[in-house]
Amino acid sequence: MTSTTPSPGPGWATPPHPPGTYPVLVVGSGPGGLQASYYLSRRGIDHAVISADPGPGGMFRRFPFFQRLLSWTKPHVPLAHDTKEYERYDWNSLVAFEPEHRGIMPSLMDGSTEFPSRAEMEEGIRRFAERTGLSVRYQTPWQGTSRDGEHYVLHTPAGEYRSRVIILAVGVAEPLLPETPGIEHAVHYVDTREAASYAGKRLFIIGKQNSGFELANGLLHWASPIILASPRSAHLSVNLHSLSGVRARYIQPWEDADTGGGVFILNASIERITRHSTGLSVHTRRSDTSEPFIAEVDEVIAATGFRAPLLDLESVGVITFGRSGLPIMTNAYESATAPGIYFAGTIGQGVSGLKKYGIASNSGAVHGHRYNARLLVDDVAGRYFGMERQRPELPPGEVVGRLLTSASTAPELWHQKSYLAHAVSRDPDGRIRDEGIVSLAEYVDAAGPDGAAITVETDDRGDIHPALYVRRHGRVDVDVALESSPLLDFRSPEHHARLSTLVADVLG
Amino acid sequence: MSLSRQEKLAWLEKVPLLRQCGAEVLEHIADVSGELPFADGDAIVLQGQVGNGLYIVTSGEVRIVAGGEELARLGPGEFFGELSVIDQQPRNATVYAVGPTACLALASWDLLALLEREPQLAMNLLHELADRLRRIDAQVRD
Amino acid sequence: MNQTELLNALAGLTLFSDLDQPQLESVAHTLSAESFPAGQRILRQGFSGSGFFVILEGEVGVRVDGEDVARLGRGDFFGEISLLLGEPPVADVVAESPVKVLQLAGPQLRDFLLEHPPVMFRMLQSVSRRLERANRRG
Repeated sequence: MTSTTPSPGPGWATPPHPPGTYPVLVVGSGPGGLQASYYLSRRGIDHAVISADPGPGGMFRRFPFFQRLLSWTKPHVPLAHDTKEYERYDWNSLVAFEPEHRGIMPSLMDGSTEFPSRAEMEEGIRRFAERTGLSVRYQTPWQGTSRDGEHYVLHTPAGEYRSRVIILAVGVAEPLLPETPGIEHAVHYVDTREAASYAGKRLFIIGKQNSGFELANGLLHWASPIILASPRSAHLSVNLHSLSGVRARYIQPWEDADTGGGVFILNASIERITRHSTGLSVHTRRSDTSEPFIAEVDEVIAATGFRAPLLDLESVGVITFGRSGLPIMTNAYESATAPGIYFAGTIGQGVSGLKKYGIASNSGAVHGHRYNARLLVDDVAGRYFGMERQRPELPPGEVVGRLLTSASTAPELWHQKSYLAHAVSRDPDGRIRDEGIVSLAEYVDAAGPDGAAITVETDDRGDIHPALYVRRHGRVDVDVALESSPLLDFRSPEHHARLSTLVADVLG
Repeated sequence: MSLSRQEKLAWLEKVPLLRQCGAEVLEHIADVSGELPFADGDAIVLQGQVGNGLYIVTSGEVRIVAGGEELARLGPGEFFGELSVIDQQPRNATVYAVGPTACLALASWDLLALLEREPQLAMNLLHELADRLRRIDAQVRD
Repeated sequence: MNQTELLNALAGLTLFSDLDQPQLESVAHTLSAESFPAGQRILRQGFSGSGFFVILEGEVGVRVDGEDVARLGRGDFFGEISLLLGEPPVADVVAESPVKVLQLAGPQLRDFLLEHPPVMFRMLQSVSRRLERANRRG
């Protein structure tokens, strides 16, 4: 295998991280890989980062298509941008311990809107990597995997990389097309052309989740009619009390369909697509009546999802599930079947957590997985490098206040409701330890010292409230919902009294 | 006691099993079900027989007996017989009338057809069975 | 697993064995694929917000107050009794191996069953059989 030398990235004289053996390997230079690399560096764990791309940004080098992100960064909340509390209102910056590296996004957005453009997001990621001193070997694609005793071996055109611990942050962006006959006449969402080229075209969009509506929304001005179709009804995020479903920013096509303005939303399965002299025929079967319905259109776009490009990881023991091919993982994002292989970034959505009332976590988005990265690195540090987690002592009188403050302001709990929690525990000698932010699923299901964990949860009616999980004799038996509050501040005397009573026997 | 069709309908409306099933369902049941009288001690269904229908108690009381033990008593508006209709296995209990008793009988094929056509009826039945299962499991554990 | 494989897997499960192709597609779109490593609790005794699960691969143990009462595997389902009764689960269900499931949010179960009567009927059969077994034990 010949070794190619990629051209040096910006600011680097020679590519860093030559092929060889490293304590940890990170694959990917999007937000997932870079946040993991940040935490590894601050933990003092030597590692190499390789990426197929020529520069940082990951999926934000290409997506979203139609300009702006769905996640917001609000510059005018009454909190300094370099505080941890501000992260609750900034869904887009990567996070750091050092105040000078926090809140990068608000400083570079143009100020006209709270939604960054794709280019602004890409720049924010680039700036984070540069300012925090991360180093990536670009244009070094991972192409294959093997084992060599205790080490995993990643094969790249530059040579082989070996490590006991691999962190893959390769995203879930490989296009998935259904096996519908004639699907070759459709293009996948990733190959959508520029909006103006759809002027006057009759458009059929397969898929009514967020991507489908994003396309319909972006092409509303140009294509007519627009037909959106999939077997099941679309669901709006606002109705699901979560960020799954169609987001508020893409509701315009829905309104258009309601008023008969040229958008048609269909519940039907797509049976086949055929081409003829004047266009395409999409043969569907309606879900309500099972009757056939044929749409005559010029273009078909398949917004039919993505999979994780995990190459040949199965050959080293990684087991995947579902259409997206996500790996089965532990609560620390390690493969459940191939020890030492971890997954950072959006692949972490495969760890579903408690998923109470069916509400999914935000692990698929930056504002969720930037926090998962710390848990992942803590797990690597503990299990592979013998580094203990810090567990500072807490004066007993401060416990309840600390937990309620977390529930009211901790960005980890607000971005990953009912998924991450703030835990405290009691040592055998009676001292109270602050366990910091933990995986809620791991806390409720693994054995451990007596203690309690608090998180923020939404129920099926959309009520947002703190929830407490008390561990007694190694077991968490029940979840207790605390009262909500109109402005979501849970530091009232009533909350204090209630929480004190609930934890008195384990922490008192 | 013999119910007129009107009386049957009015009574069916109050049966918990038929809650939220539309008028058309109730009318159909009124049309295809027959009212059967029983004297004290009569066996209404026999353990070991394959199920031939669902019974709803309209007046009086019944006792459910299996293995020589009384499992439960049912009164007006409550039903029995559905388990062996649903899975076509022999009945696992005998049901006796306690005092003069009358039941509305819905034949097996009519019940099955109704369950397929009327999701709400199937849902009510499912709910009732789930409730019984939960209670029995709790008893067995205690 | 691609869509065809998923639909074939669903059609092979008793719960969905009476559904036609469009209905199977509807089910595949409504339920979400989830996985759990060995040792992970999937259903938690006493906790609110539980869901409905159908096992695609792997084995789970059903435990009441820490004691094993049953094993479930491919094609089996759990969580429905609690949801139908609006109560928290009375048992833990724990993955014994890595497990792949299809999951439905608790608040959606009722409507899902009403929209897929053949599935509801299969569930009726399953609950009836469990009731008969429980009657015989008692």
